[in-house]
Amino acid sequence: MTANNFKKILVPVDGSKYSDKALKRAGELVDVFDSKVVVIYVVEKSVPINLLDRKEYLQILRKFGNKTLDRAHTILSKKEISAKLLLKEGNIVSEIEKAAKAEKCDLIIVGNKGLGAVTRFLLGSISNKISQSSSCSVLIVK
Amino acid sequence: MAIKTKKILVPLDGSKNSLRGLDMAIHLARQSQGTLTALSVKTVPGVYALHPLGFLDFNSMKEVKKILADAKLRAAKKGIQLTGKAIAGDPGYDIARFANNSKNKIDLVVVGARGRGSAKEIFLGSVSNYVLHKCKKPVLVVK
Repeated sequence: MTANNFKKILVPVDGSKYSDKALKRAGELVDVFDSKVVVIYVVEKSVPINLLDRKEYLQILRKFGNKTLDRAHTILSKKEISAKLLLKEGNIVSEIEKAAKAEKCDLIIVGNKGLGAVTRFLLGSISNKISQSSSCSVLIVK
Repeated sequence: MAIKTKKILVPLDGSKNSLRGLDMAIHLARQSQGTLTALSVKTVPGVYALHPLGFLDFNSMKEVKKILADAKLRAAKKGIQLTGKAIAGDPGYDIARFANNSKNKIDLVVVGARGRGSAKEIFLGSVSNYVLHKCKKPVLVVK
């Protein structure tokens, strides 16, 4: 079954507890399938930001991104998994898709919702878009 | 085996994509020594559910049962135990309800990206989407 092997798993994180859950699930899958993990954080650039604060705001986001990636790294290294960390900037969904293509990932694991409080009862908007448009399989952790 | 997916639910509609989902589920079940539950839903339009003559359609479950038998054969070849279940109703709603029912103890739902609705072929299938949103268990979408 060559087509079914999860050789590479992409885990997009946003620092929420759902993305932690996704990481844990990725760790379980790695134990079984011996796959590689790529963790990605995307700094969202598509929202219009006040021109004057733009630089500062993006810097804060980048800092937060690095922090979450560090945290992801520690979570995974507890299970003795070495992950590749990526920090991208741009539109979240398209960057995740690009990364999935560039890294030739077989599976994307996302939490069912992120930091958005409005969509708390529903599937998160990002998870939804990823599941609609990605070309590889998606596991949604709840 | 660290994986906790002991019971995997695979909704089937007889399309190629749902078979791909089944293959993936078999693959996963082999790793975790889990069992599969196949669920096949016969679509019943709401009108017929109320109409007394709707129940006279005895042939209706034949197709569904055939799908389940095929699935059972496929799983048995790989040495995985599969229990089939056929129900009549609205596919999305009933799949989600079956998965959420704590009696069934489902750990993971594996769905094909799209089923038989050809008009929406470009997108994620409407039923997969419904299950994604309404199901409280992890969902794996197979493309």
